[in-house]
Amino acid sequence: MKRAVTVLLGPTVRPLGIMAGTIVVLALIDRGTGYFLSLGTIFSVMQLFATLGLVALGLGLSMLVREFDLSVAGIVGLAGCVAVMTGAANPWLGVFLGVGTGVASGTLQGLIMTRLNLSSVGVTLGGLLTLQGITYVLTENKTISYPNLAVALKLNEPIVNLVSVRSVVAVAVFVVAALVMTWTRIGRDVIATGSDRRASRVAGLNTDRIIIGVFAASGASAALAGALLGLSLGAASPVALADVLAPAAAAAIVGGVSVGGGRGSPMGIAAGVLTLCILRSGLSAIGVEPYVHDLVTGTILAIIATVDAPDLAHRLTAWRLDRAERWQRQLAGNS
Amino acid sequence: MSTISLRAGFRLAGSGARARHLVLVVRILAGAMIAIFALTTPGFTSPLSVNALLNAISFIGCVAVGMTFITLTGNIMSLCLGATVSASALIFLASLSLGVAWAFLLAMLFGIVITAAQGMLVGYLRANPILVSIAGLSLLIGAAALATSGQRIYPGGAGLAMFKGRVVGIPVETIYFFATAAIGQCILSYTRLGRVMVMVGSNLRAAKAAGIDTAIVVTLAYAIAGACSAVSGVLLAARYGSGDMEIGAGYDYAAIAAVLVGGTGIQGGSGSVLRTTIGVTVVAIIEVVLLLRGFSQQLQYLITGLMVLAVIMLHSVGERR
Repeated sequence: MKRAVTVLLGPTVRPLGIMAGTIVVLALIDRGTGYFLSLGTIFSVMQLFATLGLVALGLGLSMLVREFDLSVAGIVGLAGCVAVMTGAANPWLGVFLGVGTGVASGTLQGLIMTRLNLSSVGVTLGGLLTLQGITYVLTENKTISYPNLAVALKLNEPIVNLVSVRSVVAVAVFVVAALVMTWTRIGRDVIATGSDRRASRVAGLNTDRIIIGVFAASGASAALAGALLGLSLGAASPVALADVLAPAAAAAIVGGVSVGGGRGSPMGIAAGVLTLCILRSGLSAIGVEPYVHDLVTGTILAIIATVDAPDLAHRLTAWRLDRAERWQRQLAGNS
Repeated sequence: MSTISLRAGFRLAGSGARARHLVLVVRILAGAMIAIFALTTPGFTSPLSVNALLNAISFIGCVAVGMTFITLTGNIMSLCLGATVSASALIFLASLSLGVAWAFLLAMLFGIVITAAQGMLVGYLRANPILVSIAGLSLLIGAAALATSGQRIYPGGAGLAMFKGRVVGIPVETIYFFATAAIGQCILSYTRLGRVMVMVGSNLRAAKAAGIDTAIVVTLAYAIAGACSAVSGVLLAARYGSGDMEIGAGYDYAAIAAVLVGGTGIQGGSGSVLRTTIGVTVVAIIEVVLLLRGFSQQLQYLITGLMVLAVIMLHSVGERR
């Protein structure tokens, strides 16, 4: 029994539970009208997933090794601009260069962190500001339009009314990440580095290489999201997309990634992202005001933060003991 | 190349007190370079640019002073302070009909309650500070949209003049900022609470073992951050004469950048409001100098970003553990 509860609350299963709960609640609210339970909702959820998912995956990977990659927000914008500016003739080249930019920036930041032994928040905050600056310089503070609209249409074209090329790519990246994390030595090394870096180093693991690799992967994932989004919108501008960081961090944490490092999985992150996407497109499908979405998301995040808090059980027990003691004293006083 | 020389700097830094002096020298040199760079820029000392500089320092500075307390107590950063700035600006403008003193008090109270509530979750339950702040951000944005239905808020009464204009040639905003910073630094240096905050930030377990109620300390740190953000909100509201939720957007990132540039450690337990004040000033000077030297807006963003990155790297070379 206790074991079953532990498994249910574990980092891989719980996000799926939260996601299922969200779907059930939305379906109950929607009952009968069929706005929520439709193929259209699935398609729009997957479209949101294509962008937010890859950014959350990048951020989540960095949280797995107990770091925090703020620069993903900057990489999304920069990679989008690079892809749109270089991919006019050949979209593949655009995506390649966009992702290359992400890998380069992630590697560089990883090198700075490990060589100089710096905290990731500081370095990636500087990275975020610098990447935004590069984006502004490249675009000269204008919206760059992408002439090859056929590519944009192709990327967003529904396949069997459920997914698009863009969301299939995102799902594929998640599957690859999950396979690598579960079945390869790299996956175990990443978890080990996140759980206890010093112990891993003592055990002979080159943790610096793992950190650099994780930041390169995080950059690549966020860059892929940005490049595909830029191409599919047919435009890229430096100001748009700046606010992806908060939802991505929320999605990763809802997905069971612990900020303390070493806990979490790509599948969990996927479930966390899907939960937020289902909330967003589900609530708009039902037709509530946009602010309800913010309030509901905020409430859910606050609940998760409270339930996950390490001192919650301890505080509850203390409170219960305190109350019991007071009762006892009262009983003793009465008799 | 630069990586190699920085590595060499690190080895020296690791070798003891002499290296610490070296880092100090490097810092003073960097400061002197910025000063020379600024003073040789034509027009830097003109009243107009000094004014622009002081204004830039004041608005972000108040938030950065507040953020210092969150960072210092070991809770990294809050992504919610920008929204708190906007929301308290709205509260201030909407309640101006009650009189300016009440409006100011209500805005402060609002900022304190909203942020202290997050602090209680973090302090009493040790909830994840970043997730808590994102939850607060979502709730604030949703509640503000519900309350204002997306409309701009205009002042409901007179009294804005108190928070703008100038006294003996100094912008009032700057006086409020320096007052906020001075109070903040006094709390840190001269009260038991301040010293306990540093202790909680540097080692939570040790602080607990020493019998300190760490939960209330963290809550108070957040409350101070909320109060500082509300001051910034009131100043912004007075400056623009109206407000919406965009008024303080992005202030959280600018504030944490100022905190880190000032040299407060992200891991908590080391830093001060004074350092943050220096950090805000350095970033503002860089921005004003770039503007005066005729760099395009785009290049200004890029160079500011690179400078922030460079300064953060410079600090950590000296302060690695």
